[in-house]
Amino acid sequence: MNSRNKLLGAFTALASIVSGLLFAGQATSADLHRGGTLTMGRPDEPLTLDPFIPSDNGSIFAIAQVCEPLILADKTGMGLEPGLASSWTISPDGLTYVFALRDGVVFSDGKPVTAEDVVFSLTKQMDPSASFGFAFEPVKAIEKTDDKHVTITLKTPYVPILSALSLYAASIVQKAAYEASPEAFGLKPVCTGPFTVQAYDRGSQLVLAANPKYWAKGEDGKPLPYLGKVVMKYMPDGNARVLGLKNGDLDVALQLPLSQAASVKATAGLALEEAPSYALDYIYLNHAKKPIDDKRIRLALNYATNHDALMKAVYFGFGEVPNSFTPKVNYWSANVKAIPYDPDKAAALVKEANYDGTPIELIVSSGNSSHRQTASILQAAWQKAGLKVNIVQYEGATASAMVRKGEYQARVGLISSDINDSDEIATLQTEFAGSTHAFFSWYKNDEVTALLNQARGELDTTKRAAFYEKVQGIVYNDGYNVPLNFVPFINGYKTKIENWQNIAVGWWWLKTTRIP
Amino acid sequence: MVYLRYTISRLVAALPVLVAVTLFSFLAIKLVPGDPVRIMMRDRVSDEQVAAIYAKLGMDRPLVVQYLSFVGKAATGDLGQSIIQNQPVSALVTERIAPTLTLLAVGTIFSILIALPIGIIAAARPDTFFDQVVRVVCILGFAMPHFWVGLLLMLAFGVQLRLLPISGWGASFGDHLVHMILPGLTIALFLGPVLIRTLRASMLEVLATDQIEVARARGLPAWRILGKHALRNALIPTLTVLAVNISWLVSGAVVIESVFALPGLGSLLIQAVSFRDYPLIQGLSVVLAVTTVGINLIADLSYALVDRRVLRD
Repeated sequence: MNSRNKLLGAFTALASIVSGLLFAGQATSADLHRGGTLTMGRPDEPLTLDPFIPSDNGSIFAIAQVCEPLILADKTGMGLEPGLASSWTISPDGLTYVFALRDGVVFSDGKPVTAEDVVFSLTKQMDPSASFGFAFEPVKAIEKTDDKHVTITLKTPYVPILSALSLYAASIVQKAAYEASPEAFGLKPVCTGPFTVQAYDRGSQLVLAANPKYWAKGEDGKPLPYLGKVVMKYMPDGNARVLGLKNGDLDVALQLPLSQAASVKATAGLALEEAPSYALDYIYLNHAKKPIDDKRIRLALNYATNHDALMKAVYFGFGEVPNSFTPKVNYWSANVKAIPYDPDKAAALVKEANYDGTPIELIVSSGNSSHRQTASILQAAWQKAGLKVNIVQYEGATASAMVRKGEYQARVGLISSDINDSDEIATLQTEFAGSTHAFFSWYKNDEVTALLNQARGELDTTKRAAFYEKVQGIVYNDGYNVPLNFVPFINGYKTKIENWQNIAVGWWWLKTTRIP
Repeated sequence: MVYLRYTISRLVAALPVLVAVTLFSFLAIKLVPGDPVRIMMRDRVSDEQVAAIYAKLGMDRPLVVQYLSFVGKAATGDLGQSIIQNQPVSALVTERIAPTLTLLAVGTIFSILIALPIGIIAAARPDTFFDQVVRVVCILGFAMPHFWVGLLLMLAFGVQLRLLPISGWGASFGDHLVHMILPGLTIALFLGPVLIRTLRASMLEVLATDQIEVARARGLPAWRILGKHALRNALIPTLTVLAVNISWLVSGAVVIESVFALPGLGSLLIQAVSFRDYPLIQGLSVVLAVTTVGINLIADLSYALVDRRVLRD
């Protein structure tokens, strides 16, 4: 009896040691805290979930959780990783890209993803009335090569095509579901993303449920995401979002009013996220209007601006003083020297330009208090340099319409890149011949246009980087605009949330987020 | 029968109002610079692309044609298709009308509940300490901007005391009512004072008349004089003020809905205007105009209940 017990005991001990060793490296579902609901407070809401209708961030960031393109923005938003395409090849001349579709991927309704779905989706995106048709302009043809491969042929070498294919607008949708009813699809998309739409209460909230058929696996071998549900509450009032975070209703509050960021950081149980973005706050300048047409005046505006004071007063220290006319995307260079604060130099430049007293009207969108504050600070600084500045307020869309028609001299605004390739934004801002006239600056520089054309087709990344650095130096020092801040995303969240991340392209990496 | 005739005559009188409102909003929004496609595409779109999209939507036709086409369809219940959300306007309106109507109802009820007792007591005891306090508080009430009052209430009851929810609409019917307490109170803190002052003033007027002297001489109890005789007569001007202000409230709902994140027609209208979503704006102005006309009709009918003399014209 005794020896048998001893043997049993030894055997059990051995078994537990062995199984312990076997499973040591693998987390169990229990450890991973699967499930739970993440409640987010957003300043905007989705107006539609259809990836092919032109849309705003309210919609885009939500679509990115439900639908996926061939190539995905990675966890930081600054790189790319394979999505529905598991790999691709590029021909030596840079004109032909062949994408291999990932095995075993199904839509949320269980039907497999086919090459026809891919061709349908990408072709739809090339329609001029679609939101990002311009990003696919160099594409000649999109064809199914075989059941598992799709080929894209370009008219000219265009390296940013990979970034363009990571746009939410290039999401792969189920052809049958979309064609049956685009309207219904816009309410409940049939896609391959980590979440599906459970409830869409316009004006109130969007509820997403985890997609049990998602193709990417977690550390325990089961499909991602770890969360069970995500509730995106629409709370347009910034103060209400902060209150919601502080009283526990929200797990995450997005876009905190900067004046309240420090108070959130100081609250026990809450943390502040400062995540890099692809946005740049700057003063739009119209090079076609006096006195802004004179480069010396434009540079004077830059020298007269006290960036450190502006950062403290308007941005509460959040962000970075820019050294570029364009946002900090992948080919941003730290080597371009920022124009220093030098009020004497500014005054000298104004005198040298024989400034005739033409007032500069600085447009501010009404209702935007931080823009108004920026404008007041700049008005004081620029007037010290000898310029006459008036601040005028217009409703947001009205101001945009005036800017679009060129009926302005200067405006407080911002720009952001939708993709992680500098080409989109640099071209948009400097291409005079484009539909926006160098993004409403009426800036014309043929050397810059030529450099960007070369950069677009350059497959070697070091050489490409050199082109963009040169462009950054030229355009910035031409006084293209008055850059103010590489604004980061400032969000508040409960410290107990694991793996919360606002990525650079704008939306959130929710696949690996966990609530213990 | 006589009520029916009265109702019909009021409805007929409302038609030109509806035409005027829809025509005005149709023209006004087209005059404002900015258009939905360029806003959505953040201006990264060419003039040709925009023209093509608008041709598809029928927005390149002359304004008169567009307006008449809209009116024709609206008469059959088709309020058009939202450009931005690609859904029928009538569906969007149906989805979001409940919070707005509930807000108006709760706000009005709270206002009446506050105004009636205070107004009557203030009129019964004019120039006493209570009356003076009431008058000062009333002035404060309509001087304070209501979005600020809303935020203060949120801070006090939602955050410090954690008694009431600070935003949103809630899930079940009971939940909806709880979420309406703070917004309703915000409205009542503005509308209540207006009603108190009107009620007090008209009651004082009535209390000074000969009829009341007679009633007092007959030895009727004070509460009966106040409640039955004075109040009934004082109600008509008060009802008028209430009706006018509820119509005003329909537009004030826009601010309240924004502060409390209520998914109603007001917040939908703000969204539609920012994006210049013309069909949605037009559809909403029809709905809001009809709502206002309806409220005024109810007010007119309730006069008739209080004072049948009104029915004679």
